[in-house]
Amino acid sequence: MPMPMSYNWLLVLLSYAVAVLGSFTALQLAVAIPLARNQRQKTAAVAMAGGAMGLGAIWAMHFIAMLACDSGMDVTYDPAITALSAVVAFAACSGGLLLVGDGQFSWLKLAGAGTCMGVGVASMHYLGMAAMMMPATVNYDYGVVFLSFVIAVAASMAALWLAFNLRGPLQMIGSALVMGVAVCGMHYTGMAAATFEDNGGQVPDGYADGLRVGNLGVTIFVITATLLGLTLVLHYWRQRYRSSLSI
Amino acid sequence: MVELEIQVHSDRREGLLTELGHVVVTNHFSLLRQRLTQDSRGAWLSMLVRGPAEQRFALEEMLGTHTRVLSFEAALAGEVTPLSAPVAHIPRITETMAQPVVEEPAPMPEPPVAPTAPVTPDISQVEHILPKLAQDYPHIYPWLVALENSVADSVRESSLILAGRRTGAWVYKRDYAMGAKLSLSDAIKRIGVPALKLLADIEQHGVHINILNSPLCTPGVQSGCKFYGGYLEGLLGASVTPKKVFVRHLSCRSAGAAHCSMEISH
Repeated sequence: MPMPMSYNWLLVLLSYAVAVLGSFTALQLAVAIPLARNQRQKTAAVAMAGGAMGLGAIWAMHFIAMLACDSGMDVTYDPAITALSAVVAFAACSGGLLLVGDGQFSWLKLAGAGTCMGVGVASMHYLGMAAMMMPATVNYDYGVVFLSFVIAVAASMAALWLAFNLRGPLQMIGSALVMGVAVCGMHYTGMAAATFEDNGGQVPDGYADGLRVGNLGVTIFVITATLLGLTLVLHYWRQRYRSSLSI
Repeated sequence: MVELEIQVHSDRREGLLTELGHVVVTNHFSLLRQRLTQDSRGAWLSMLVRGPAEQRFALEEMLGTHTRVLSFEAALAGEVTPLSAPVAHIPRITETMAQPVVEEPAPMPEPPVAPTAPVTPDISQVEHILPKLAQDYPHIYPWLVALENSVADSVRESSLILAGRRTGAWVYKRDYAMGAKLSLSDAIKRIGVPALKLLADIEQHGVHINILNSPLCTPGVQSGCKFYGGYLEGLLGASVTPKKVFVRHLSCRSAGAAHCSMEISH
C-alpha cells in the first residue's frame, strides 16, 4: 500500500536557497575559467566550481530536501552509496564546467556541458534514493523519471548559457536562480516519480548502521558554511582585482 | 626613431618578458634594456625600447590592452615616468637575459618625415588625464574637456581616441571580462550598450549607435565623438578577439546633425 508523503515547506524553500547559493558560487567561479592563465589556475577554478555545484548546490540541497519530506518512516542511508553520490555530483559538475569554460564557447559545448551537469544532478539524486534504507520499497513511474532528467538537462543548459553569455546582474543572479530551478525541479519531479510501499516492517541489512538524515546535518552545515565563505572570498578577490587594475 | 622607457605592472612574472617582448617586436621596436622584479604587489617590468615614432601609438595601445598588463606607463627616454614601481637602474641587456626576445628585427630605415600634420596623440597629456578618468568614472566629461583644451588642435582627435581606447579597455577588464567571448552583435548589446549608457544617452540599432546630446559635441564647436569611438573599440576589442573592432563616425551634432552616429564593424 503506497505511503503518503508530506513536506515541510520551510525546508523546501531552504533547499532551493542552498541550491541557488551553491549555483551562484559555482557559476561565478566557472566564468573565471576562461581567464585562467595556466593549467594550475584552470584546475583550481574547475575543482572549486565543481565542488560548489556538486557538493553545495546538489548534494546538500538533496539532503535538506529529504529532511523536508516526511514519509512516516525512519530512514537511514547507506554510507558508501551516499559518498558515491557526492563523488558523482562533483565529477559530473566539474566535467561540465570544464567543457563549457575551456576555449571558445559554442552551442555544441553548451549541449555537452548541460547534459553532463543535468545527468550529474539526476544521478546524484537517484543514487541518494538508492542509498535509502527503510521498511518500504520504492517504485518509480519511469515517464516522470525521464521528465526529471529532461528538466535537469534543459535548465542546466539555460543556466550555463546565462552565466557565460550575459554580463551584469542577470549573469550573476539570473544564472544562479535558473540553476536552482534545475536542481530543485529535478529533485522534486524525481520525488513525484517515486512511490513508497510498506513492506511489512522488513528493514534491509545494515539499516541500524546507516546514516540518519539528522547525522548528515553537520555535513550539510559545513558545506553551506564553506559555500558562504567561498562567496565572501570571491567577492573580496574580485574587489581587489578591480582596484588593482589601473587604466 | 624614438626610445621609450616603458614600465609595466603585472600580477606575475612568469612568461611576462616573452609575451610583452613579442608585442614590442611585433610593433617593429627593439628591446635595448630590461629589468624584471617582483614584490608583494606583483611583477614589474621596465623596458627601454627603440623603434619608429609612428609605431609608438600602436605599441602603447597593444600594451594597454594586453591581458597580462594591469597598468603601464610609457615616456620618451629621459623623461620622468611616474609609475610607482620599485624600479632601479635598468641594466644593459645581456645575452642570457635577452633570450626570449633577442630576435630583433633588422634595423629599420628611418622613416621619411611626413610633411602633413602629425596624427600621433599627445601621449603625455593622455597619460596625465587617464588616472583622473579612472578615479571619477563615469563622471569624466570635465576631464575630457580638460584634455581637449590641453592638446594642440592637430592632435586633439587622436588624443581623444587614445583616451577612449584606454578607458574602454580598462572598463572591459574591470566589469565585463568574466564569461565567454561574444560575437560582435552580442558584444554590442551586452557590453557596449550598458557601458556606454553610463556615459551618455544612447540608441542602438544593430551595429549603429546614436549618442544623444553628447556633452563633447556642442553644435558649432569641435567634435568630441572620437572619444566614444575609441571607447567602443577598446571595450569591444577584447571581447570579440581575435578580431579587431573598428568604429566609423557617420555624423556629429557639432556639424549640425540631430545626434552623433557611429557604425561598429570588425
